[in-house]
Amino acid sequence: MRRSKVMSAKEAVSQYIQDGMTVLVGGFFHAISYTITHEIIRQRKKNLTICQSSFNEHADQLIGAGCVDRIISSYVWMEVFGPLYCFRRAMEKGIPHRIAMEDYSNFAMTARFLAGALGIPYMPLNSLKGSDMMNHAQWMGDKKVILQEDPFGSGISHALVPALKPEVGYFHAQRADEEGNVQMWGILGDAPWSVRACNQVIVSVEEIVSRDVIGRDPNRTILPAYKVAAVVKEPFGAHPKNTQGYYDVDRDFIFTYIGMAKNENTWKEYMDEWVYGVSDRSEYIEKYIRKYGYRKFASLKAKEMPSGCINYGY
Amino acid sequence: MSEYSNNFTLQEIMAVAAAREIRDFEKVIIGTGLPLLGSMLAMRTHAPNIIAIYESGTIEARPVKTPFSVADSCLIPGAAMQGGLIEGLGIVHAGELDVGFLGGAQIDRFGNLNAHVIGDYYHPEVRFAGSGGSNDIGAGCKRTIIMMLHQKRRFKETVDFVTTPGYLTGGKHREKLGFPGSGPAVVVSTLGILRFHPDSKEMYLESYHPGTDVETVRANTGWDLKISNDIRETEPPTVEEIRILREELDPTGVFLKKN
Repeated sequence: MRRSKVMSAKEAVSQYIQDGMTVLVGGFFHAISYTITHEIIRQRKKNLTICQSSFNEHADQLIGAGCVDRIISSYVWMEVFGPLYCFRRAMEKGIPHRIAMEDYSNFAMTARFLAGALGIPYMPLNSLKGSDMMNHAQWMGDKKVILQEDPFGSGISHALVPALKPEVGYFHAQRADEEGNVQMWGILGDAPWSVRACNQVIVSVEEIVSRDVIGRDPNRTILPAYKVAAVVKEPFGAHPKNTQGYYDVDRDFIFTYIGMAKNENTWKEYMDEWVYGVSDRSEYIEKYIRKYGYRKFASLKAKEMPSGCINYGY
Repeated sequence: MSEYSNNFTLQEIMAVAAAREIRDFEKVIIGTGLPLLGSMLAMRTHAPNIIAIYESGTIEARPVKTPFSVADSCLIPGAAMQGGLIEGLGIVHAGELDVGFLGGAQIDRFGNLNAHVIGDYYHPEVRFAGSGGSNDIGAGCKRTIIMMLHQKRRFKETVDFVTTPGYLTGGKHREKLGFPGSGPAVVVSTLGILRFHPDSKEMYLESYHPGTDVETVRANTGWDLKISNDIRETEPPTVEEIRILREELDPTGVFLKKN
């Protein structure tokens, strides 16, 4: 057993996320680390560039709290739940301050991470061509995307997007061992490539398991421990999002957030209650159960639908 | 001959029209809302063997209830394969899928879609979500089905930003860019069904929904909309299609409540 990297969200964020960094938030709609997101807000980190293939309310909260200067993504919204109003206020009116977004497509973002993870400088794409994302850039200027003809002679031009290698990344997964071998299942989103592209990674997990448990199903591991700087044990750490096999999405809670975010004052009330007004995730869960009742909390718990066992024997 | 319903909403006729665009055994990438209902309706009527793919990396999803989101946990158990975005959108990007769904805030006569901004990109009056997977679906799927609210401010002479190219300036413009996919096949709007001329690639009205007419469609379109020579009323939903939508697919009215 090598060094344990288990620490609190507070310690992980203060140690590894500094003002001005480019920070990956890993995942796609499912298993988003709200526990690390909220800790970044509580520690009032500033001037961050946040990146993810597609963002939801976690970006909205970071933007509204003034932590973000720049976004690199394809999407900031919450599907049929509705728009994200802090994002819109920042983009349309400069509240709380003006932010800039480099717009890509969902696959182009993921391809940028893939290139980053593979150590190659760019990725050629069929996407983006002919769209205004080709000729509208913010701080990246003419380094955002370049149209180039296939040097192998197909006659087709592709959109080249540069590798993206965030300084630090954080994401949520089902389990890891103390050293940081991470296992995840269900919707992986921009993981594993996005987190593999990062220099350092913080992972929050539902459970910490032994190295033996990891070794019994190594195909399930999406990130090896040497890439991981910190492991934060945080059951319910993705709420109100889902984590496959642990809990379902809390639709009512997301609708409540979007409703309150419409107006700056009610957004602040929400944040005071659920982010600034709790010191960590356990207090958040206690507050949730106090407010909505244990029955509601328990209703989110996942049903038992275990996979069959496979034989790794030889 | 099935019996037609005379009691349906605009959203329901859109879901039914979308379902009828899908052929059996096709590989279809599905978003939430009406495209999801349309695809699930197709699976329960004429196209039981379609392969349902979600952007989030779910391939051949067989959910036992109607998913609310593309990342709904109920999509995973029973699926043939689950991966991430590289898996879900990679096969789109490679040109392997038959059908994708698109939408947006604005569309022009060549099916170019805007999902980014109203106004200037750098100082938007209104900022929307952005592309998400739309641009990838538009580039890669063999054909796309566009679903739109039919209003003059959405059907525009020029869109404020091209998020997902349709036929660009028309004619052979799209072909020259060398996408794996061949572009939008149809626009299912709240007022009618529109297709694209095979040569000019300009959108024209094929049919208007029951309860509306050609003049209403034209009045709600921001350019001089061409009309098909054999213009007709959209085939209404059948009683059975409406029953499946209401009773089986959306019993609590999550998607169809708004009319």
